[in-house]
Amino acid sequence: MYVLWRIIVKELLQLRQDKKMIPIIFVAPIVQLVIFGFAVNTDVTHVPMVLVDQDRTSASRALLDRFVESGYFDLVGSEETPDAVDAWLVGGRAQLGLVIAAGYAEADATGRPARVQLIADGSDAAPATVALGFGSAIVAREAGVRLAEYRRHVDAEGELPAVGLTDLRPRVFYNPDLRSRWFYVPAVLAMILMIMTMLLSAMAVVREKEIGTMEQIIVTPIAAWQLIVGKLFPFAAIGLIQVFLVTGVAVFGFGVPLRGSFLLLLLLTQLFVLNTLGLGLLVSTLVRTQQQAMMVAAFTMMLPMLYLSGLIFPIENMPHAIQTITYAIPLRYYANIIRGIFLRGSGIDVLWPEALTLLVMGLAILTLASLRFRKRLD
Amino acid sequence: MALAVELHGLTKRFGAFVAVDGISLDVEEGEIFGFLGANGAGKSTTIRMLCGLLRPTAGTGRVLGIDVGREPEEVKRRIGYMSQRFSLYDDLTVRQNLRFYGGVYGLRGALQAEREAWAIETAGLAGKEDVLTRALAGGWKQRLALACAVLHRPRVVFLDEPTSGVDPLSRRRFWRLIDAMSEDGVTVFVTTHYLDEAEHCHRLALIHAGRLTALGTVDELKAVFATQAVLEVTAPRVAEALDLLASEPWVREVSAFGTRLHVVVENAEDGQRRILERLQATGNVPVRIDRIVPSLEDVFIHHVEAAGAEKRTVSA
Amino acid sequence: MKKIRAVAWKEVRQVSRDPLSLLLLIGLPAFMLVLYGFALNFDVRHVPLAVQDRDKTAASRDLVSTFVNSTYFDLAASPAPGDDLERLMETRRARAVLVIPEGYGADLAAGRTVPVQLLLDGADANTATTVLGYAGALVADANADAIRRTVLRASGRDVPAGIEYRPRVWFNPELSSTRFLVPGLMGVLLMLTAVLATALSVVREKERGTMEQLRVAPLRTAELIIGKTLPYLAISLLASVLILVAARVLFGVEVKGPYLALFAATLVYLIGALGLGILISTLADSQAIAFQGGLLVSLLPAVLLSGFIFQIRAMPPALQLVTYLVPARYYLVILRGVILKGSGLGPYWDQMAYLGLFALATLALASLLLVKREA
Repeated sequence: MYVLWRIIVKELLQLRQDKKMIPIIFVAPIVQLVIFGFAVNTDVTHVPMVLVDQDRTSASRALLDRFVESGYFDLVGSEETPDAVDAWLVGGRAQLGLVIAAGYAEADATGRPARVQLIADGSDAAPATVALGFGSAIVAREAGVRLAEYRRHVDAEGELPAVGLTDLRPRVFYNPDLRSRWFYVPAVLAMILMIMTMLLSAMAVVREKEIGTMEQIIVTPIAAWQLIVGKLFPFAAIGLIQVFLVTGVAVFGFGVPLRGSFLLLLLLTQLFVLNTLGLGLLVSTLVRTQQQAMMVAAFTMMLPMLYLSGLIFPIENMPHAIQTITYAIPLRYYANIIRGIFLRGSGIDVLWPEALTLLVMGLAILTLASLRFRKRLD
Repeated sequence: MALAVELHGLTKRFGAFVAVDGISLDVEEGEIFGFLGANGAGKSTTIRMLCGLLRPTAGTGRVLGIDVGREPEEVKRRIGYMSQRFSLYDDLTVRQNLRFYGGVYGLRGALQAEREAWAIETAGLAGKEDVLTRALAGGWKQRLALACAVLHRPRVVFLDEPTSGVDPLSRRRFWRLIDAMSEDGVTVFVTTHYLDEAEHCHRLALIHAGRLTALGTVDELKAVFATQAVLEVTAPRVAEALDLLASEPWVREVSAFGTRLHVVVENAEDGQRRILERLQATGNVPVRIDRIVPSLEDVFIHHVEAAGAEKRTVSA
Repeated sequence: MKKIRAVAWKEVRQVSRDPLSLLLLIGLPAFMLVLYGFALNFDVRHVPLAVQDRDKTAASRDLVSTFVNSTYFDLAASPAPGDDLERLMETRRARAVLVIPEGYGADLAAGRTVPVQLLLDGADANTATTVLGYAGALVADANADAIRRTVLRASGRDVPAGIEYRPRVWFNPELSSTRFLVPGLMGVLLMLTAVLATALSVVREKERGTMEQLRVAPLRTAELIIGKTLPYLAISLLASVLILVAARVLFGVEVKGPYLALFAATLVYLIGALGLGILISTLADSQAIAFQGGLLVSLLPAVLLSGFIFQIRAMPPALQLVTYLVPARYYLVILRGVILKGSGLGPYWDQMAYLGLFALATLALASLLLVKREA
């Protein structure tokens, strides 16, 4: 035990000596969170839209107004023919084209359908999807309004029976204004934590190998577990400090609510960190130089984990084969935990499956890494 | 006397490359045992095997009776090791390094304080306890590294090229420390390529291309020249003289030592006469020809050449 | 010329001795494309929906099947009245809960407007937003149908079809995520690998001490820089070819525009990236710093601030200004134009100009700093 203490003291002393580490550990996460927090925003607003109104009636005008009133769309120009929309989309000056064909207003009277086209720039698929979704809803609602008017027109004598309509009343839980920032900022927290703990721990071990002090340590009677725990412990502590800092910025800087227990967050974060440190150690046993450690850790572990953990892209939409793989990704469970605690106010009663999984996975990874970690040079 | 270190056919292969080829030798307790050889001869690899850092491919090694291949951790408990790169933590102070290594070897409390004090005094670092290790000059770092390696009073100490890159004065001071340890009964196993230091050892092993080419005390090794004489020749044109004498059948060996030649012949007077004759004939008149006491360097070169000749005859 | 070749060859030999890094540099970008191409999908389909039907009449079942039969929603649970609905969302068994009140069918038949609640899990704001749109459209359609049927039944007259609405998507008709991803990923991965490789390579020489050796040689700074970056330029170009091949073979993403345009833009982009890498390496003292710095200025801006995933429009104005400095932003526009929209470089000459400017600026700055630091 005393030996373990000695190693931890040494690591901490070395960290303190490393002047460049202090900003990396404390300042970088905050800076990253601030940048991410502001940049990361998928709220659909100000979609530039170009109009082709071949009808030019008050009815078509009304449809345009619905679009503009919604607040999602900005009218940036108008053209005479649908073909002209092409240039706007190719040049990137508009993302959506609203084409109202001639005969729109008189459709009900003439019996010919009113034709409306929405042309979206699919090269940017995500916003295109959402924009189309909104656009469709607006058109559908307008269709309903026109239908109701037609019905009133036909029913001037009040002979038609009233029609029962469904009034959809949405009630949004946890994020009433549907701010995408509330979705992303906790995700960024998880990301920063993972990068810091995994990368730094991997590099710390490999650096000793590179410098040569590793040789001097493994020739002593120190037990492998003491060396491992001693080297990794400081990074667990650092991770904890970072959670404090980053949560502070998230809550007070970005107004993301922390509805659950902060203590629970800290506790479950440690379970997650168990996993990332284990992975960092595993990487260090596979490589010889710090550069290799960085590349292997970054590209084979962190990037895939980022994309496949459900943190940014929903898992439900992935092919089943890949969905199965995501069960092996610790970040997946931590993503649920972090959103649960911040936004849903979830307690351990809801999050215990994730907690248990992280615990088991963490121990498994650490054990695996420790087994690979030999007190020998070859 | 008991054996501190025993090697029986110790071998280490890295893929197809044989770094250490079946070395067998014994080291007695309290000896200062020198492992001599050129860079890449296999010295460090051998030491690393004995310290439990590498697993032998074949053969056995025993330190204080414990098999290094089977129980490396037991060995580590009882030995001290100073690696080639002085592996101290540059970003820790002198005291912090001592505290760390002491702790790792299980020292604590009064004992640790006592050993720390001893280390600081022995290494001459009094007043420098709180200096960052990277700020120390080479000689001090070297002594500190040695102190860290022996804080726990091991009976056997392995030193891998401990004096490389250190000034001569510091080297001498360092060897006085080693002498003191040996008088205490500690076995010191040291590798070096400085031949003048090798004279300091009780016994020497000469390693060349992974094989043991000579073993014995300094005098025993020099006895290889017992039936021969080594003459030192100073001539104006050294390279020319070297070529000329190398082709003479009565010259056993000839090699250049800076501006002089060392010529090994059967008979001193005979040799002197003939050398004078040959060189005068070409107008390359030697300034002096003296008989000298052979140095270890001469011994070393002799063995290297012999090994080389063996290799040539084998492959021919 | 010869000196450049000597430096370049040395670099090549060093790189080839580290096959792991080489493999990562070349193969990884393509591998990433494959992985994400298969995994990433922005379509919101199969949203787990819970339905609490307190009415259980034909009308309510009709409404339910409208939702469930669409590809958007999957029936995840049918909670009984009195069940904890929020719990369903909290445990993520359902993303939305449709609550149909008792008397729905009767009210509808009597011609009254009935409120139906849709509870949404707002934690995933993106999905929730899209779900809201879908649900709104589904209900609007159902209402329109109801009106149509009533009018038809009552007056015998058929009702006009209302608005015939056709959404069309250009350049990426199926809104396939891969087509969207390819340009973005190319920009990100190329920037990342080019910057990191170069940054680490120079810093490694500094750490090993060989940099001093090089400075003593009669080697001009420009020659050193060019020689060092040439091999990585070649490697990155190879990587970009691999990405395009993978995109074509596995996802059927074709380059619709001229390859020359693609090559030209990529070349300029890469030169700028390599220059950035060298710049970082002149400022960093250790590989750790070079790596983190490299990540910071290459990955982060390329992913976040280039318009790849997150709209620049939606960012606060201050940040929008910053995006003007990010080369990936311009490269992305060009890539999307050439690959997906089939355009040549014509509409994008100002983007190309900026990329060229960036390349010149970073190389110049790097040379300056390299000289200054050693002096």
